[in-house]
Amino acid sequence: MNAVWTIAVKEVRDAVRSRWLIVYGITFAVLALGLSYLGERNLGSLGFDNFSRTTASLVNLCLLLVPVIALSLGASSIAGEQERGTLSYLLAQPLARWELLAGKYTGLVVSISIATIAGFGLAGVFIAFYASTMDATTYLLLLGLMLALVAVMTGIGVVTSVVCNSRAQAMSVALLIWFVAVLFFDLVLIGLVSGASLGGRGLLVGLLLNPIEIVRVLAIMNLEPDLTVLGPFGSYLVEEMGKGTATASLLTALAVWEVTPMAIATWVFNDRRA
Amino acid sequence: MSNPPILTVGGLTKRYGRLTVLDRVSFNLDAGSIVALLGANGAGKTTTFKCVLGMTDFRGKVEVAGKSVAKSGKDVRKLVGYLPQTPGFADDDTCLEALRFLAELRRVPLNCIGPLLEKVNLAPQRDVRVRELSGGMRQRLALAAALLSDPPLLLLDEPTANLDYQSREELHDLLVQLRGEGRTIVLSTHFVEHVADIADRVILLKDGQVALDQATASLFTDAGKDFTVHLNGTASASFLAALHSAGIGAERVAPARPDLQEAIRRALAGKAEKEESCQ
Repeated sequence: MNAVWTIAVKEVRDAVRSRWLIVYGITFAVLALGLSYLGERNLGSLGFDNFSRTTASLVNLCLLLVPVIALSLGASSIAGEQERGTLSYLLAQPLARWELLAGKYTGLVVSISIATIAGFGLAGVFIAFYASTMDATTYLLLLGLMLALVAVMTGIGVVTSVVCNSRAQAMSVALLIWFVAVLFFDLVLIGLVSGASLGGRGLLVGLLLNPIEIVRVLAIMNLEPDLTVLGPFGSYLVEEMGKGTATASLLTALAVWEVTPMAIATWVFNDRRA
Repeated sequence: MSNPPILTVGGLTKRYGRLTVLDRVSFNLDAGSIVALLGANGAGKTTTFKCVLGMTDFRGKVEVAGKSVAKSGKDVRKLVGYLPQTPGFADDDTCLEALRFLAELRRVPLNCIGPLLEKVNLAPQRDVRVRELSGGMRQRLALAAALLSDPPLLLLDEPTANLDYQSREELHDLLVQLRGEGRTIVLSTHFVEHVADIADRVILLKDGQVALDQATASLFTDAGKDFTVHLNGTASASFLAALHSAGIGAERVAPARPDLQEAIRRALAGKAEKEESCQ
């Protein structure tokens, strides 16, 4: 068993023991089930395409919950080890720093993914049981996008963990990132577009700078390519590029987001003294 | 061809910003001895260990069994067992789980864990969680972890700091046993009296430099020519004065052994005197 795998397995075991992950899993499942139930009951009776609407609500729930849990667990990974005094002990073992970082990252991503799949899966079973239509491929695609978001946001969390001097500081920075990316990003960018005449290209760059927005647009685009639902960034993208090119551009940007944070974290961590 | 020293430290210098923590520290250690690395808090003992383990960058040469720490840090760490000041185990792990994790990291067969737990007298606690262990038990668990890959060099950072007298004695017995197996043990502490009975050699760090590097036995030999007279009964001061003429026979006469702290103090004073006379 190599070092990365050993650390990842330990991380998953610790996460299962931890109350954080259990609380997240239960919260996610309850909210997802609640949303699905309400969506099916209310929208279904009104004759809407209840699968798309219910799933869109689920996506919005994921875009709130997944980043906050991934960012905060990533932020407490290395900083938490340092605070508990276990980091220097791990660094004294015969493993490279990148192996420690990769192992912790992999373990966290797997743990959060398990809880996300559990919540998403429960809701999926419910929708499949009650919905008049159920597109399993689209649903699995959405799940895949959420897991990709888990990987990106955990990586960003790990960056804050290696950059900051304490767990509290890392958590604060991570929550600030979540707050800006999830709640404030749209408003700030729209303000910039109108105030600073950013234009369409500015909008596009803005969209690519926020992985949560990338995933949101990708998800909605595949679920219901309705320009009113897509929002200003998504609408512009589809109108200018067409759905195919827009999807390819967004997926490329997401791939860059997958690797960049961990590359930065490894570089910073290698350079940091024990 | 003779074996290389198990540890070679040459011109080791470590700076944190403008602060020089280690300043051209040099020493070699041969296999099968216990070396006390002494010094006040902040003298550079832990930093020396971190450099030997390749956990921090440094200037100078550090080699373990001929392997350069700067070039092959990961390989060197396989040869070194480390017991930090605060053993970093996860509180929720049992002793067995904690050792299994480290054994997997070190790629050591898991069947070595049982005998190691017995060696450090923790076999009955194998399924006890780390958070439920006493300070002494945690130290013994950390020692078992340090011994996992059967390393020829052990670095023990303040291993007796939180131990009661009995646990300290047990640890010392174990260290003597490990020295008998041919291991080299470097023991850092600022409690000189804790290592007086077991250290073969003393290296004293002061202000980031080696202030003294000497065999413990020679420290005691050089410490003075005082004698202790053990009387066959209780004797008053006035009685002592007339000891010889009154014909009171001494039961045993032996050289007085000062404590190690006093021996070091005298050695440093002697060294300073020599340096002054040379100038």
